[in-house]
Amino acid sequence: MKNTYLQISQMITGALVAVLLAIHITVQQWFVVLGLLGIKVADPTTWGSMMERAHQGSWVGIYIALLAFGLFHALNGFRNILLEINLSALAIRILTGFIIAFGVIFLILGTYAPIALFSSYR
Amino acid sequence: MADKGPHQNYLGMWGWVWGGNYKLERYLYLLHRITGLGLLLFGLFHLTVTTIFRVQGEAIWSSTISFLDNPLFRVGEFLVVAAFSYHALNGLRLIIQELGFALGKPVPPIYPFTDAIRRKRAWTLVTLAAIMVLAVAFFIDFTVRGWG
Ligand code: HEM
Ligand code: HEM
Repeated sequence: MKNTYLQISQMITGALVAVLLAIHITVQQWFVVLGLLGIKVADPTTWGSMMERAHQGSWVGIYIALLAFGLFHALNGFRNILLEINLSALAIRILTGFIIAFGVIFLILGTYAPIALFSSYR
Repeated sequence: MADKGPHQNYLGMWGWVWGGNYKLERYLYLLHRITGLGLLLFGLFHLTVTTIFRVQGEAIWSSTISFLDNPLFRVGEFLVVAAFSYHALNGLRLIIQELGFALGKPVPPIYPFTDAIRRKRAWTLVTLAAIMVLAVAFFIDFTVRGWG
């Protein structure tokens, strides 16, 4: 059963990441195309433009959601690949432990940054 | 005649590049895996930049961004958005088909039969066309903004 839930979660997080990442990449990468369509946007990588988003709660939410779903999806996908090597039950548990620890570190780091920048406002 | 021992068909790592009598979807699966791993690698690098280098203030952020603003990283960025287009759209196809949708009604496998995935190949080709369109649109965007 555990593997069924993991596979369903892989699909659900994949679909969620597709939406969130489409938003993210459209804003970060498509400003020329958006410009041709008449939507004027400034270079999103400048400090000013970046901080404008960082001070909006909705962007903080989008980034933390993208972070959490993306990390789960990518690391679970990576684990799936590694499990194709026939590992012993013990090796699988150690591997899983490492992957979870790794994910938690990046989750903390990636949650801290947007919250710190958000609260640096005012 | 060459010896047809049991391992004659064993392709080893070459099977990654050419899998014998496999069909299109086998190669799409390989590319899905490569793009997934590529996005994972980028993601870790990207998270380092957007956390550690972002919280230290304007000077560090601006110098990081200008450090990344060169042809090498621009090409890398293009590969990332192209990989994203592929992995996302092919991934949505996989989700739909693995859940059993868009495969048509089951039919008995009477020789010579085609499997459901290939009977519905049209959907796969539409997905690939959409990925191509996205990749070209990104390419134009990168070219307009300059590669370095
Ligand atoms: C953009 C939206 C995305 C969608 C719709 C999506 C969808 C999927 C699906 C459905 C699978 C399972 C494939 C299968 O069952 O055969 C998968 C695997 C995977 N994905 Fe994604 N994904 C997305 C984004 C990402 C991102 C951003 C990363 C990395 C940061 C990533 C990394 C992986 C990896 C490493 C695998 C495992 C590949 C394998 O088992 O061969 N994916 N993806
Ligand atoms: C090449 C295209 C990309 C560019 C130019 C880009 C740029 C950026 C920038 C400038 C930020 C800082 C926040 C902001 O400006 O509002 C950011 C944050 C973020 N990006 Fe991207 N990105 C790209 C692709 C991706 C991809 C493919 C992923 C997923 C694997 C991703 C995941 C994230 C996450 C999770 C954050 C928030 C980090 C945090 O926790 O603070 N980005 N990105």
